[in-house]
Amino acid sequence: MAFGLRRPFQPKGPDRFIVNLGDRERAVVKAVCEDLLGALDDPAAEPLLRRVYPVAHVTDATIDAAYQEMVHSDLVSSRRKALEQIVTTAEAKELDREQLESWMIGLNTVRLVLGTRLDVIEDSSPELEPDDPDLPAWAVYEFLGGVIESIVRSSVDTL
Amino acid sequence: MNDSFLSSTALNDTALNGSTKTADMSAPAVPELIRLADAPVEVRDPDIDETLDIDRPWVVLVWNDPINLMSYVTFVLQKVFGYSREKAEAMMLEVHHNGRSVVSNGTREKAELDVFRLHEHGLWATMQQD
Repeated sequence: MAFGLRRPFQPKGPDRFIVNLGDRERAVVKAVCEDLLGALDDPAAEPLLRRVYPVAHVTDATIDAAYQEMVHSDLVSSRRKALEQIVTTAEAKELDREQLESWMIGLNTVRLVLGTRLDVIEDSSPELEPDDPDLPAWAVYEFLGGVIESIVRSSVDTL
Repeated sequence: MNDSFLSSTALNDTALNGSTKTADMSAPAVPELIRLADAPVEVRDPDIDETLDIDRPWVVLVWNDPINLMSYVTFVLQKVFGYSREKAEAMMLEVHHNGRSVVSNGTREKAELDVFRLHEHGLWATMQQD
């Protein structure tokens, strides 16, 4: 494989996916998931979580409230489950399809929250000064984008 | 859809419009007023669907957002709805270029379930009556 073109995820069979991540990348994955697990149902984190629990009905607040009431705890618990699965399989060399799906949904949730915090408004990231305090967060945001892209490609290949 | 509601509306409609067809006087939902009218009541085929709010389907929309990857949105539409890659990609591109796309429709319950599954995957989905 060409240098720099390593795919983070590689399908090995219909239900088997190789994880080509280094120790430091895995540590980042684990850390961001643990961070979000702590904030997932924290009212103080609500502004950052608006993309995680979006409005379902734009013009009718009553219908939206009924929807939120019905699904909120399910949305919290399915995200919690995905993030916990990532934490427990962060060092795994291979994942099955269900675990891979948890990685996809969990890491996409992390990226949504990071993107909300960074106020992402365009598809491309801005030019940052080397001393910009948001530089690490942007690096993680970009890294997660690459990981999710690779998971999607592996999943599509075996759909 | 509520049958008794439907049939009473149909009969109300026919009572006003006159007739080419015999109404079924044994139907349980026939309103008192019509049952008392001279039998047999001749009726015309009623236009039901446009008069009932309950008939209007709900649509589920996915909105453009700068965070979710295009490939991810396409894959989620394939996975959640079983759409072909071509169909899912066309919807994703409509979201990307026009700001939104209708991705499914049906009853309010179905729309709620679809929105929930899209929200689980982090897509920006809403529902509204068409």
